[in-house]
Amino acid sequence: MQQAVTFPASPTAIDRRPVSSLGDTIFSGACTAAGAFVLLLLGGIIIELFLGGLPAFRQFGVPFIWSTEWDPVKEVFGAGVSIYGTIVTAVLAIVLAVPVAFGVAFFLTELCPPALRRPIGTAVELLAAVPSIIYGMWGFFVIAPLMSQHVQPVMIDTLGELPLIGALFQGPPFGTGIFTAALILAIMILPFIAATMRDVFDQVPPVFKESAYGLGSTTWEVMKGVVLPYTRISVAGGIMLGLGRALGETMAVTFVIGNANRISSSLFGPGNTIASVVALEFGESETGSLKLSALLALGFILFVLSFIVLATSRYLLRSRLKH
Amino acid sequence: MTPPSESAMDQQSTAPAAGKATGSFGGMEVRSNAALNQDIRVQVRNLDFYYGANKALKSINFDLPERQVTGMIGPSGCGKSTLLRVLNRMYSLYPGQRATGEVLMDGQNIIDDAVDINSLRAKIGMVFQKPTPFPMTIYENIAFGIRLHEKLSKSAMDERVEWALSRAALWGEVKDRLNTSAMGLSGGQQQRLCIARTIAVRPEVILFDEPTSALDPISTLKVEELIDELKRDFTIAIVTHNMQQAARCADQVAFFYLGEMIEIAPAAELFTAPKEAKTQEYITGRFG
Amino acid sequence: MSATTEIPLGPVKDPAIAAALGRRRKRSDALVRTLSLIATAIGLVFLASILVTLFLKGFGAMNLSVFTHVTKPPGSDGGLLNAIIGSLIQVSLATVIGTPIGMLVGTYLAEYARGSTFGNIVRFVSDILLSAPSILIGLFVYQLMVLPFGGFSGWAGVVALAIIIIPIVVRTTEDMLTLIPNTLREAVIGLGSPKWKMIVLVCWRSAMSGIITGVLLGIARIAGETAPLLFTSLGNNAAQYALNAPMPSLPITIYSYAGSPFQDWIELAWAGALIITLAVLLLNVLARSLLRSGK
Repeated sequence: MQQAVTFPASPTAIDRRPVSSLGDTIFSGACTAAGAFVLLLLGGIIIELFLGGLPAFRQFGVPFIWSTEWDPVKEVFGAGVSIYGTIVTAVLAIVLAVPVAFGVAFFLTELCPPALRRPIGTAVELLAAVPSIIYGMWGFFVIAPLMSQHVQPVMIDTLGELPLIGALFQGPPFGTGIFTAALILAIMILPFIAATMRDVFDQVPPVFKESAYGLGSTTWEVMKGVVLPYTRISVAGGIMLGLGRALGETMAVTFVIGNANRISSSLFGPGNTIASVVALEFGESETGSLKLSALLALGFILFVLSFIVLATSRYLLRSRLKH
Repeated sequence: MTPPSESAMDQQSTAPAAGKATGSFGGMEVRSNAALNQDIRVQVRNLDFYYGANKALKSINFDLPERQVTGMIGPSGCGKSTLLRVLNRMYSLYPGQRATGEVLMDGQNIIDDAVDINSLRAKIGMVFQKPTPFPMTIYENIAFGIRLHEKLSKSAMDERVEWALSRAALWGEVKDRLNTSAMGLSGGQQQRLCIARTIAVRPEVILFDEPTSALDPISTLKVEELIDELKRDFTIAIVTHNMQQAARCADQVAFFYLGEMIEIAPAAELFTAPKEAKTQEYITGRFG
Repeated sequence: MSATTEIPLGPVKDPAIAAALGRRRKRSDALVRTLSLIATAIGLVFLASILVTLFLKGFGAMNLSVFTHVTKPPGSDGGLLNAIIGSLIQVSLATVIGTPIGMLVGTYLAEYARGSTFGNIVRFVSDILLSAPSILIGLFVYQLMVLPFGGFSGWAGVVALAIIIIPIVVRTTEDMLTLIPNTLREAVIGLGSPKWKMIVLVCWRSAMSGIITGVLLGIARIAGETAPLLFTSLGNNAAQYALNAPMPSLPITIYSYAGSPFQDWIELAWAGALIITLAVLLLNVLARSLLRSGK
């Protein structure tokens, strides 16, 4: 084949155009500006929530945080009921979700036949993809009646009779309330915690597990004695992440929490979380009213709570970030 | 520690200009004492190089003769790749790495910040150890570098792409699939693609950083033949940890050890009668 | 002469005790295994329950008028057309606005700021925003855009959704770019390319399928968000799509219908829930298959 035109390889005057560095300056400037923009966003959120809630903070002072009064007529508001509801539902959700999540992660990493590993893992992750309003509807139309007709009566009859904690499980079985909300939250955060646990369990170097098996340990003993200690910090981080999500969930909770602005003695009673009260009472708040300011103040408190939990979670998971 | 005796060497002479191997030492074919080109393309003077506080190159003085192949050998960590990467200022990607001294080309010190780094890299190209095809078609791979520096019409671009691929001995294998992804090529083909890509911008100097260590023997041979042919038009420096390769390909060879250049000589001389003890020890395999 | 060391024997290993221990350990193991199986079954049962409920109630209410009629008062054979269109508009605009910003931030983190303090702070803040309660984002945009400009608007909804999708794109972009080996970067730079061309023409191209996956998952996330829209675009029962006024959206319509006492509205809420869930699941499956084929 005939050689194509040959070019002199090193002409002294080569017709190259100069490469300007303007493109680099503009592009790196744009990237840096975008990074700064993200910081401004967070700063903006903190500032706007605080400024919006300032009238309420000024009016009620620090006792706002624990006051359980919520009277739109007298214009006296307190965050106590909502904070209580937020923390109790979130913590209860964690208590319910973590053991199940661990079971799922244990199953997926140790017990599941390899062929089923991907489908089941995907199914668990799909649970995480379902929007929270779906959880809310499902919770209200399916779980609440179930709780009311079957689960709560049984619990009232059994756990409600126990000394000390029995009071938590008494009262009319409405089906809605703090406990149901916590249950729905638990199902929502289950896939996040399970996925985190599964990922960190998979990262344990096989040699650690093999040396334990070599001594004759059972699967559970390997998990208990080798995998969990090795991964405990990341597991804690994953749990905190689930907690962070549970604290801020709105739609899943709003449908079933019962919207009552008081703290009831039983877990089956109605209540409110910060997110649910903001969602439910926003529509009835006039612009510039003290009530609106109280809602924004609640938002600020929720933000502080979430920030602390999420920052802790990230700190615990930081070794994972490097992968 | 005694040099091999004369009787062990097979001396034949053939016309040096043919560039064929004309001697052997310990089974290696060695070039004859071809007259080294007196024109120097790149001069390195008193070059120091630092990784942070660690001085990796010490007072290097070194010339690249025009249109010849300079081989750079030495054990791992001796600084040969570091030196190569100074020549096209690749270290500027990484903070904490810096060079002092002079690297002179066309009267300019190219490691001076004032010299435009992108035009420099168009004049001094580099082929890396690991073939790195861009995630584009074969045609686009070649055109990418050209478009950085030149504005060509479609037909001129087509010609240049064909020329570059032909000189890299790849045209015949890919001419019917220029618009398919480059990722589908074999390892040896990918490396020749990288060579074509480097040639396409018409550099004056081509740096090869262990170009065949990731390739099978047949591809290695093809690349070595290519280098032999390319030196007709380009000044070439090649880092290799394979002494036989240096002996096959290079006109002059420099031996590096612990950041210093111990010896530089025409290939046949270095491998048959090295002046320094360290060089002798290395080429006889006392350390690697 | 060498001293002999005797291995202390201690009490002879009692095979009966060892066997008893073994049985107990086996029982614990079996118990935990069974519990894990039950736990997984519980998780799958919940998923099945949600999907089955959605399908049964959603399909039951599904008919053509859902897609062709706009929302109407109860008893007037309304549909969800305007809600669907409103959602499509808001989600698309939010994606178009948020993705470039997210990509720039992710590029900044991966190509310009690796290991720098400022970069670490940006990454930290992005991660916080990723998991922050979306209702607070809604409140923020309310304070920022609705109050000063006198009213709820589609733009406010778009901005809120964009803020939610940005950190998702940031994380994906940074992860994908960090995977690219430095040898590729050096090869591009070695040809004399300026840094920005290396990033845009080669690195982005190389990471594109991964980034698209992240964007798809981000879309799936914002398509289902209700709370932020409550305070921004509010929702609208008319077929109005001007962005400077309240806009209809599917999640808001579902929310108001599901909480209403009207049976036909509740049925429409289920139909809408099914539509959203199918869309979200489809996006997830698409994203996964893209990731697999890209590898």
